[in-house]
Amino acid sequence: MFDRRLFDLPKIKGTLFILMILTGIQALAIVAQSIFLAAVIVDLWSRHAFATVLPSLAGFALAFMLRQLLVVFKNTLMSHFAGKAVENFRVQLLEKYAAMGAPLITKYGTGHAVTSLVAGLDNTKNYFQLLLIKMFDLSIIPWIVLIAITYFNWIQGLFLLLIFPVIIIFFIILGLAAQKKADDEYANFKNLNNRFVDGLRGLPTLKQLGLANAYGREIYTISEDYRKTTMRTLRIAITSTFALDFFTTLSIAVLAVFLGLDLLNGKTILFPALSILVLAPEYFLPLRNFADDYHATLDGKNALTDVMAVLNRPEPTDTKLLNLDTWRSDSQLTLKDLDFYYEDEDQPTLADISFQVAGYQRVAIVGESGSGKSTLLNLLAGFLMPNDDEVIAVNQEILPHLDQEDWQKQYFYMPQSPYLFHDTLRNNLVFYTPGVDDDVLKEAIQQAGLKDLVDSLPDGLDTVVGEGGRQLSGGQSQRVALARMLLDPSRRVLLFDEPTAHLDIETELDLKKSMAPVFDQHLVFFATHRLHWLNQMDYVLVLRHGHLVEQGKPAELLAKPDSQLNSLRSELQQGLIHE
Amino acid sequence: MNEFKKMWRHDRWVLPFLREQKGGVIGSVLLSFGTIFAAAALMFVSGFLISRAAQRPSNILLIYVPIVLTRGFGIARPVFRYVERLVSHNWVLRIVSLARQRLYQSAASTASSIRSRLQTGQVLSLLADDLDQLQNLYLRTLFPIGAGIMLYLGSSIGIGVLNWHFMLVWILVLAFILILVPIFSFKMNRAKVQDQKELQSQLYTEATDAILGMQDWVLSGRQADLVKEQGRVMTALAGVKYKAMRFGWWRDFTIQGATVILMVLVLIWSDQQFKTDFIAINYIAAFTLAIIPLVDTFLSVNQGVGEASFYEDSITRLNDLPPVKPAESAIKLPTDSTIHFDQVSFAYPGDDKTVIKDLSFAVQPGEKLALLGRSGAGKTTILKLLAGDVVPSSGQVTIGDVAPSDLNDQLSEVVSVLDQHTYLFDTTILNNIRMGNVKATDEQVKTAVKQAGLADLIESLPDGYQTMMLEAGQRFSGGERQRVALARVLLQDAPIVVLDEPTVSLDPKTEYEVLNQMFSALADRTIVWVTHHLTGINRVDQIAFLKGGHFELTGTPTELYQDSPYFRELLALDQF
Repeated sequence: MFDRRLFDLPKIKGTLFILMILTGIQALAIVAQSIFLAAVIVDLWSRHAFATVLPSLAGFALAFMLRQLLVVFKNTLMSHFAGKAVENFRVQLLEKYAAMGAPLITKYGTGHAVTSLVAGLDNTKNYFQLLLIKMFDLSIIPWIVLIAITYFNWIQGLFLLLIFPVIIIFFIILGLAAQKKADDEYANFKNLNNRFVDGLRGLPTLKQLGLANAYGREIYTISEDYRKTTMRTLRIAITSTFALDFFTTLSIAVLAVFLGLDLLNGKTILFPALSILVLAPEYFLPLRNFADDYHATLDGKNALTDVMAVLNRPEPTDTKLLNLDTWRSDSQLTLKDLDFYYEDEDQPTLADISFQVAGYQRVAIVGESGSGKSTLLNLLAGFLMPNDDEVIAVNQEILPHLDQEDWQKQYFYMPQSPYLFHDTLRNNLVFYTPGVDDDVLKEAIQQAGLKDLVDSLPDGLDTVVGEGGRQLSGGQSQRVALARMLLDPSRRVLLFDEPTAHLDIETELDLKKSMAPVFDQHLVFFATHRLHWLNQMDYVLVLRHGHLVEQGKPAELLAKPDSQLNSLRSELQQGLIHE
Repeated sequence: MNEFKKMWRHDRWVLPFLREQKGGVIGSVLLSFGTIFAAAALMFVSGFLISRAAQRPSNILLIYVPIVLTRGFGIARPVFRYVERLVSHNWVLRIVSLARQRLYQSAASTASSIRSRLQTGQVLSLLADDLDQLQNLYLRTLFPIGAGIMLYLGSSIGIGVLNWHFMLVWILVLAFILILVPIFSFKMNRAKVQDQKELQSQLYTEATDAILGMQDWVLSGRQADLVKEQGRVMTALAGVKYKAMRFGWWRDFTIQGATVILMVLVLIWSDQQFKTDFIAINYIAAFTLAIIPLVDTFLSVNQGVGEASFYEDSITRLNDLPPVKPAESAIKLPTDSTIHFDQVSFAYPGDDKTVIKDLSFAVQPGEKLALLGRSGAGKTTILKLLAGDVVPSSGQVTIGDVAPSDLNDQLSEVVSVLDQHTYLFDTTILNNIRMGNVKATDEQVKTAVKQAGLADLIESLPDGYQTMMLEAGQRFSGGERQRVALARVLLQDAPIVVLDEPTVSLDPKTEYEVLNQMFSALADRTIVWVTHHLTGINRVDQIAFLKGGHFELTGTPTELYQDSPYFRELLALDQF
């Protein structure tokens, strides 16, 4: 029942010790409260004057309030503890994600990563906060209460002790049945839920097809099916709580009847009997509380498992091998016989790739979709690792991969859709160069062709963009990335991944005019199937099905009628106006 | 507080359901009250039983009734609770069914058929979440309040029968526990809940920024900033949550304190009331012990009311939805499918920027028009005007002699739309395609599939047309999805087809193939095609370049090629 992983949390032992002491005191307060109450009632029943019961009454009230005060203390203690523990996890998670880098995050799922950071940590916190209290309550309070009851009447104590495992067994058996039922119905649930979401998501399509209204009835039918399925599962799940409820309540009733009979037969007197009656519900209370939150506890447990799984994921190693200050005009990058397989595929995505570039060359990587352009670019950026060591070299220094800190400082990566942060336009622009001069920023905005946009915004550079802020178009986002690039002249290597393929052709033309001048004095890798960029390049790598089928100067290859580049060209330009 | 009242006055999502489906509400509240009653009665009877037994009555028959009642209430409590949970959950799920239908209808009556991805996808799933929230509102807030009210009234009347002086005291103390503290806690919580929700959504934005922007954080070497900046919102949120929890803990503490006072008062009263009578004196134990289980109700009412403000946003959002309009009567369909834009200008309501400026053009039946332009030039707006999603601020849009916005549900008989967000539903391939025309015969479907170039693919599947889309969806590439959409459009058989960048996410080769298939299959229809580059452009009769809401450059492909250097420059990009 106790999760061993909890022992690894910082300060857990001290906190649990305090929690144990507090729970122990609480249990004693519960016993005291019950005995005092019984004493008050017995005294009044014996027709003593009300004034004579005042001390016991005060004892009852004090014990009762002490008990409640301890509840608040325990909650405060564990809340602080859980807060700190989860804050540690948050920092560790972020550091982990940073170490893993974007491609690994994408591989495990970005949605999942965001949920881990938000809901996952929240559930984990609840788990620490609620579970420990309930568990300590369950492992301390019933037993102290039981000792008190046994002291008054050992037969009743024995009865309560024996009924305890019976209740738990029934609870577990029915709980498992409910779980099984829920598992059985899971597919059904998912299906029904999907169909509802289907109706909402597909609404524009339904509207286009003139079916929007007809689908309303369908939605109702689906929801009613959903209700029936849910109720089938719920009936069993509720039965499990019912069993717990039934046995505990009935135990108390049986206890009361036996106590009554004992009293009738003169085997006991009112004070111990009443004390037992008041104590009996307290004996079961921790168990009921524990069972009530059982499912929330499971969520928390799973969340913790998720968080731990992320923290235990492997990180790239050997990231500090490369020693490179700046990419110079005489620097060299060599790839020799590079192969790359994605984990779950048996065909290589890239095979036998060899080339060498030097200085400020402008290299186009061209090919059809699926030919391996993006994979090659990702390998060059160090986002992916080649299958063999020693196939990459920078300035004759042999490296296992390009996930090198010194390499990452050299290049700027322009993806298809640059990510904009939920922040001001200014902060987005200076993301790579915080604290840059306003004049320099202005110059970059001008060069990147963003001036019109900035001028048209009422708040100018202070406009919030990104998720939930002002939406920028695809071309504008590219320009923001371009400005980031312009602001950081120290990065001498530029990697472009199809930056204009999804833009409309006029925007592409505009952007090309802004982008081309940036290539000067840089090593450029430009992956694209838009061959017009070849005009700006002085070297081209032609990929086909993962093989580097041709490399050379664009002009020379274009001049050869049977070159691979020309054959790619004719494939890509069907359906256009020809003379 | 005023907005709160206003919210309830215009409420169409919570109270109407309570009124319409009274049976379940009353049943749930009664059963929930029954549970408390049985719990209190169990302690009452067993307290009496023990107390009476201690007087050592001569015969067991004298305590026979309490013995039976003790067992009876012992069984009744869990049974009531069990039935109550079944009834209330069943009721709530039934309400959800009705609410989902209504939500859908409301959304359907306002949804637009052109590019409404943000509107529908996100907002609608948000609204679907709101409905789930409503379940909790009923189960955790409204039903406990109902049970609390019954307890308040029932117990006050019961005590009033015995002693109306003490009834006044009882009413007063319970007013504190069940009215004063809940209202106070609602007011105190409200601002905190708003803060909490605000921070929660910020946290999501931040986490999204961290994860999706990770590449930039790493490449810029700003990992340390990431960890530091991320901490702020989380710490603030933890702070707000902690305050709310702490408030809850102390509120519960207060309720417990008030309960102790209640018990002491009951002791004093029962002592005076019952002391003189040999049998009645046993009621001291009975009444005092019966108070203990009531705490559960006191706490759940307070908790429910405290949480109530969590649902406010959801209710407001739902109430802001337009009421469902009854279907409008049929209007005569246009006999002629010529599209006319006559001096059309358009600005979105509340925005002074004119998106379309004094635009006039006509598209004859069977003619093919390509629209190009940068983002924001007005392409989408033209399509929306054509589909009747919006109406011109001035000027006229007509198909034949009818304004598209008057066609309502019959628009789909005149205009088909094929966009990049083809939605494939989770049913069979056959059903998906037949959605174009539900009355189509299997033969017609097969013909459309053939024309869309899908026949080979579908026949190669083991289950053929009966393959479920979810399964097939993974096997279907982007190009194949668009072919499914094309087959639907073919079945739909509307004279005008709007193509809204249908191939934007496809690779060049597939794009060309799909476009070719579309233009061949739709040869006899009017086509208005928004495209982002020039692949397939030779298949159209007219090209129009939009800029700032009007046509900057128009002509046939050949004319433009001959006369416009700009067009040739663009073509050079595609034609390299």
